Amino acid sequence: MTRTRTVSTASPPAPAAEPGPSGKQGSRHRARAGASWRDRPMRRITPWLFLLAPLALLITFTYVPVGNMIYYSFTDWDGVSPDRDYVGTENYTEIFTRPELFRVFAVSFYYLAASVVQIVIALYFAAVLSFDLRFRNLFKGILFFPYLINGVAIGFVFLYFFQDGGTLDSVLSWFGVGTDHAWLGTPESANTSMAGVSVWRFTGLNFVLFLGAIQSIPGELYEAAQLDGASRWQQFMHIIAPSIRPVLSLSVILAISGSLSVFEIPYIMTGGATETSTFVIQTVKFAFQFNKTGLASACAVVLLAIILVITWIQRRLVPDEKVDLV
Amino acid sequence: MGKRTLSVALLATAMLTVAGCSGGGGADAGETAAAPVNPDGVSGDITVLTNRTDLVEDGTMKKYATEFNETYPDVKVEFEGLTDYEGEVKIRMNTEDYGDVLLIPSAVAKGDYPKFFAPLGETSSMKPIYRFTDKTDVDGKTYGIATFGTANGLVYNKALWKKAGIADWPTTTEQFLDDLKAVKDKTGATPYYTNFKDGWPLESPWTNSVGSVSCDTQGHDKLADMDKPWAEGNDLNALDTLLHDIVHEKLSEKDPATTNWESSKTLLAKGKVGSMVLGSWAINQMRDAAEKAGQNPDDIGFMPLPSQKDGEFCSTLVSDYQQAVNIHSGHKEAARAWIDWFTEKSGYAAKEGAVSALKSQGMPETLKSYVDNDVKMIERSAARTAEVDAIDNASEIGLNKPDYRKKLIDIARGATDGSLQGYFDELNKRWSEARQTVGS
Amino acid sequence: MTLTAPARPQGKARRRPRIGTALTYLSLVVASLVVLLPLVVIFLTSLKSYGEVSDGQGALALPDDWLNFSNYATAFNDGHMLQAFGNTAFILLFSITGTVIIGSMTAYAIDRFDFRFKKLVMALFLIATLVPAVTTQVATFQVVNSFGLFNTRWAPVLLYMGTDIVAIYIFLQFIRGIPRSLDEAARLDGANSFTIYRKIIFPLLKPAVATVVIIKGITTYNDFYIPFLYMPQEDLGTMSTALFRFKGPFGAHWEYISAGAVLVIVPTLVVFLFLQRYIYNGFAQGATK
Repeated sequence: MTRTRTVSTASPPAPAAEPGPSGKQGSRHRARAGASWRDRPMRRITPWLFLLAPLALLITFTYVPVGNMIYYSFTDWDGVSPDRDYVGTENYTEIFTRPELFRVFAVSFYYLAASVVQIVIALYFAAVLSFDLRFRNLFKGILFFPYLINGVAIGFVFLYFFQDGGTLDSVLSWFGVGTDHAWLGTPESANTSMAGVSVWRFTGLNFVLFLGAIQSIPGELYEAAQLDGASRWQQFMHIIAPSIRPVLSLSVILAISGSLSVFEIPYIMTGGATETSTFVIQTVKFAFQFNKTGLASACAVVLLAIILVITWIQRRLVPDEKVDLV
Repeated sequence: MGKRTLSVALLATAMLTVAGCSGGGGADAGETAAAPVNPDGVSGDITVLTNRTDLVEDGTMKKYATEFNETYPDVKVEFEGLTDYEGEVKIRMNTEDYGDVLLIPSAVAKGDYPKFFAPLGETSSMKPIYRFTDKTDVDGKTYGIATFGTANGLVYNKALWKKAGIADWPTTTEQFLDDLKAVKDKTGATPYYTNFKDGWPLESPWTNSVGSVSCDTQGHDKLADMDKPWAEGNDLNALDTLLHDIVHEKLSEKDPATTNWESSKTLLAKGKVGSMVLGSWAINQMRDAAEKAGQNPDDIGFMPLPSQKDGEFCSTLVSDYQQAVNIHSGHKEAARAWIDWFTEKSGYAAKEGAVSALKSQGMPETLKSYVDNDVKMIERSAARTAEVDAIDNASEIGLNKPDYRKKLIDIARGATDGSLQGYFDELNKRWSEARQTVGS
Repeated sequence: MTLTAPARPQGKARRRPRIGTALTYLSLVVASLVVLLPLVVIFLTSLKSYGEVSDGQGALALPDDWLNFSNYATAFNDGHMLQAFGNTAFILLFSITGTVIIGSMTAYAIDRFDFRFKKLVMALFLIATLVPAVTTQVATFQVVNSFGLFNTRWAPVLLYMGTDIVAIYIFLQFIRGIPRSLDEAARLDGANSFTIYRKIIFPLLKPAVATVVIIKGITTYNDFYIPFLYMPQEDLGTMSTALFRFKGPFGAHWEYISAGAVLVIVPTLVVFLFLQRYIYNGFAQGATK
């Protein structure tokens, strides 16, 4: 990591370079390396040989289905019948003339807030545990472990957790807070509870990614900083923060797109009842309950477009990340 | 490994069949899956799709297959239990691989049956033998035979109701609510259980009862002609008002979000829950639960919904899932043999305490209370199911989906804003608008 | 598991103010409790009898008999866990191997080569992770089925191998840390790109491989929807689907369900405890080379 950063300040790394005359950096790069094999045709084909299998899989199992989905979105297909008619943009017109379809995005804010909490917690613990502490590995293991747990098992664990007289009620009664609150019974409570489950489950992944980035910083940097008398906070701001920015950026993108496309937890725990439905649950219901596969496909395309736009805006706002990711 | 080779071989066979089939533009589409004349001549491996994962898991289905093999030794039957039956089968219907025998999913429009299933015979010849044939009748041919039929009503704990001092079946909604209050006050039990979380107990048991209130065999078909099914005086209004009032009066479970069907059986058996609206098929499951919990199975009772027409209780008889033969099946004869054997010989319907698809068989023992008390049981017509479903889907209400009654319950218990009348108005509006769309 | 193994001995020199340290530990302990509590309760429940669970002593009550493992026997046998374990192991083996090879090759190609459409390729991988998979399942199913993979263990294997931006990303980070001079030196010795990848880059990626194996292994082990949809056949259950199906008939018995959940969690825990040291040490080694 650090090495990359050193390289990237000295001369932009290859990934940023555009081929052809458009990029000045590219030509500089080429000039610097200079070796003749770079100009041979093999050089141009080689990367594609490496990418052959990955791209084949990617296209077959992601882009062909996406292509089909886009095609379905222009039809009135019911998802089963061999017959389908082309209906033009009718499905899209319907989506944008039915504002109530977008109301479910309100639920996404619960999960977006949860993602923020999740990233902050993960950052905090990654920073804390990157230093030497007693029981360091034990804490690391515990914090990461929820991410390892099977989703179905988690569904059961938390169904029991939120049950009437279940884990949560029992714990609260320990603290003298007797309650018979139906945790999944009202919209606010249910959404908050499930966003909480999401934090419980996914913080570990962010934590480990952050920790990995932090620990890839060579120890000499810390030693140097300590010699200069830098506090932990200063070490965090000047050494840790820059080095985790790419992972952080990725986490943010995934958090936003993730909270817009929340599906599993509410689908298992409430089935979208009591105003906990998300856009994806709604889409799945169009397709599977009301046989409106055409409309559902259009919804999915719209969702995908929204996520792409958000990602694009986000990467505009954090331009630095571009260099690191691509 | 052997298994996989086998399924690959099956798939290859299926694909070859398809290839041959699509070449001729569905040439064998009309070929009837006829019952075999001589059991010894029938052979092949068939896959049966079922929603009864519990019976697959506990080996009951395998036992049926073994018995079946006594008559048809050369047919190998494999089962696939699908937990989310509708969702999974719908996806598979896009391919040719949806088993040899399957339960007709509601996702398939009735008019499309001939494209997916092999006809089982002329309706004119099937109708005298089988109940519920109109549900799968397309252009004079029948495409499915019911696994069983079910009467609708309230499963209740007789001992508990007796303890609350109630002797007679309530005849009006008000009486019923009073009875529930009595159960709550005198026994402390939860008088009614919605099974909100699992959802399905809010769908079919209630929607299947459309027709019970008006005592009309056409009750469900008529929805196709109604502009306001939730208007005063209609079955859906009566049924949904009943559900609303039960919840609104706090006569149902405290936390609907964490209900569980399996445990609700035990709760009812133990008298911790008073009643649930269900099909009569549930009676035997409740009795089993009572036995397991060390209670008296005879305490489980079944009563009609609290309404009378001309001084008589009335209950609809409705078909459950219907078994059909995949039109792409390579072993249609074997598949048909399974359906016939399962309907006639397996004793499945009787074991489940449900109404057999065979007209020759009388009412099961579970419905003794209905027979004894002269509850009028009407076989509900399903002739216009296709139209009703089309409107239902277009309106996105989902009469056979849990969401709209879940919202009703949320309104009733104040978790969501809204009033019963406001909700009925909205449903009526959506229904009538959808009728326009579908009609045009 | 070693409790106090310091990954960076040089940190020992530091000593922080008492209060700050106390608060740090407090936050760690609280977080650990929050993480562990729901799981401990499930473990407790799995040791209880049906009577203990249903008579409402509360979820935190301790089991009467700490050695009551009968629920586990029920869950193991009736849940067909052994078969599920075999299927899961098969899928894990192939999909992880595939992901490691594919991910590292992709990362190598992207980091070490200039080629047209590189941004496009990277964007394709990134966008693929943004597509909500549930919405394309009808189309994906048709693709899988057209290969004749439905109801085979290869369907999940291929689907898991398909796209994994996290794996590619982890490899990218590590490859960037490997000096290009190594490549160039090898190339001067006459090695071709594939040899460089195989002999130089890949061996240096070991720590990253460990990370990817863990992350990918866990997602695969835990995935529910894909085996649920593509392998409905009775004897093709995975740990996830077996647990899910097991719930059906035993929905009322939290003691059995809890035992089933614990059975599904335990292999994860064991593997994690064994690989943990490796993965954490790996981070440090790989980065400081």
